[in-house]
Amino acid sequence: MNKLAITIGFLVMVAAQWYVPGSMIWEQERTLTEGTPYKFKTRPVDPNDPFRGKYIVMRYEIDSYAFKDSIPEFSREEMYVYIKEGKDGFAEVAEVSATPLQTDWDYVKVSDAYIIGKEIHFDLPFDRFYMEESKAYPAEVAVRNALRQPDSLAPVCYGLVYIKGETAVLDNVFIGDINIKEFVENQDED
Amino acid sequence: MSAKFEKELQHLVSNNVISEAVSKNISEYYASQKIDSPNKLFTIFGVLGSVLVGLGIVLILAHNWDGFSRTVKTIWAFIPLVIGQLFTGFVILKKKSAAWKETAAAFLFFAIGASISLVSQIYNIPGSMPSFLLTWIVLAAPLIYLLRSHTATLLHLIFATSYACNLGYFNEAIPWAYLAMLAWILPFYYNQIQKNPDANITGIYHWFICLSLIISLGSFISGSELFGFLIYILLFGLFYNLGKLPFFDTSKLRANAYLLTGSLGMVFILMVSSFHWFWEEGSMSRYGNVEIALALVLGLATIGVILYLFKRKKMNEFNLFQYAAPIFAIVYLLPISDKFIPVILINILTFALGVFAIRIGVKRARYSILNYGMLIIATLIACRFFDTEISFVIRGLLFVGIGIGFFATNYFMYKKQKQLSNE
Repeated sequence: MNKLAITIGFLVMVAAQWYVPGSMIWEQERTLTEGTPYKFKTRPVDPNDPFRGKYIVMRYEIDSYAFKDSIPEFSREEMYVYIKEGKDGFAEVAEVSATPLQTDWDYVKVSDAYIIGKEIHFDLPFDRFYMEESKAYPAEVAVRNALRQPDSLAPVCYGLVYIKGETAVLDNVFIGDINIKEFVENQDED
Repeated sequence: MSAKFEKELQHLVSNNVISEAVSKNISEYYASQKIDSPNKLFTIFGVLGSVLVGLGIVLILAHNWDGFSRTVKTIWAFIPLVIGQLFTGFVILKKKSAAWKETAAAFLFFAIGASISLVSQIYNIPGSMPSFLLTWIVLAAPLIYLLRSHTATLLHLIFATSYACNLGYFNEAIPWAYLAMLAWILPFYYNQIQKNPDANITGIYHWFICLSLIISLGSFISGSELFGFLIYILLFGLFYNLGKLPFFDTSKLRANAYLLTGSLGMVFILMVSSFHWFWEEGSMSRYGNVEIALALVLGLATIGVILYLFKRKKMNEFNLFQYAAPIFAIVYLLPISDKFIPVILINILTFALGVFAIRIGVKRARYSILNYGMLIIATLIACRFFDTEISFVIRGLLFVGIGIGFFATNYFMYKKQKQLSNE
């Protein structure tokens, strides 16, 4: 290969290696600053990724939607779950559709949805929250213990998610008013 | 040169076997051959060092330093990448040696992984493992040609295989991108075979590509159960015939991964299919268009290679191993309701292969091939030990017979070799 081709190839490769993480950052940052925040009630569990570290998986309370009338067009590949803020301040499903709707509601795209009876079941995609490796498992235990209290005393565990266009970013996870990292640190001090 | 060898030379000189001048010439010749070996060692340590440092960085970043702000963590995501890119740029610009190129390639490869994994971690991006690996592989792929790096090529193959397994096994998804990843390295591989057919690294490429294909093929057919055996034996048959091409056959036997994996793979599948249950359950096998297309492509490729070998007059000597996979395919597809017929046919085929290997071993005076043939027959009989109603006495006698056969053929070979050396 001649020198010019190698130089151009090298520069293209460097540009691509910057572009991919750079565009990921730009899209996420834009969503965090310009997107609408929603609180999704959740319950975390603790798995592991060999390259990206420890994370907790979010099991959201929003995992299904009952159609009122007949079941509309359905696609296993891609469904639009429209989100609105409920009366209690937490996110709830406004509508589920196989095609985009003309509405002001924000939406989240889900795949691998399935239908049982008149209910559609799905998993929201922003289900990973990466944590410092020593805190992921204690976080799961702490939340489990906190939620074991009687209903009136149990704090609400929720993920704060920013949505803009097709991007949804899980910004933080809260137990009551405290973010999960501080919650675990406080537990350690106790 | 080793001290032992020096001593041996002195011994030969003192016994007047060789002259002092010849001894000096031999010493100088070996000394000149050794000049590039420190460089090779430097390359190996450089690559190992880079791989370890790179993996270390990935793990350190995976710890998730939650004491740092998002901005600080984002800067950290790019630091290994920038170091790797500057290092690579420097190596290209200054036209550094192979050792530098390999080290730079290994480091930048892992720096790319560290960078995208840290960004995923900072923003809790959920992406699955295959999509993460795919991004990593694509971003690192140009390194193979820019640095002409063996390390980058082998890492590319390992990660491509891992991608295929992650996506295709226990899943309905088919890792088509794996084929593109494999195609990407083919020009580099072809060039390597053309320029350095006997180099060790070329042999390593043969092994890596063979093993990668064997491991990944299952990810295209998972769920199709016993029809998968047919596809696999066709792959092994193709490998065996590829191994017979002058392109690969000139190299040392241990470097001819196609021939070795092809032969072992075929024998393994024939052993499994020599049982009755295989054909009982085989009739219930499910398969779709992808599986049929794969079987057709592999079968036609095998026939194509055999025809090419005929054309090049490389098939003067009949070798049953080259036809074993197509014969298996014919038996598999025979429209026979009686399941005993294919069982008998496969047992005969496997036995014939064993006999054939013994014949090749005797003809070429190679103990390894002779004993391989004996082992095929012994294993076949051991398999029948489990699913036949033959009396213990007969089974016992069969084993004694095979044992005596082992002794007799090896002894016969030994005599033959001794006779040849006397002549």
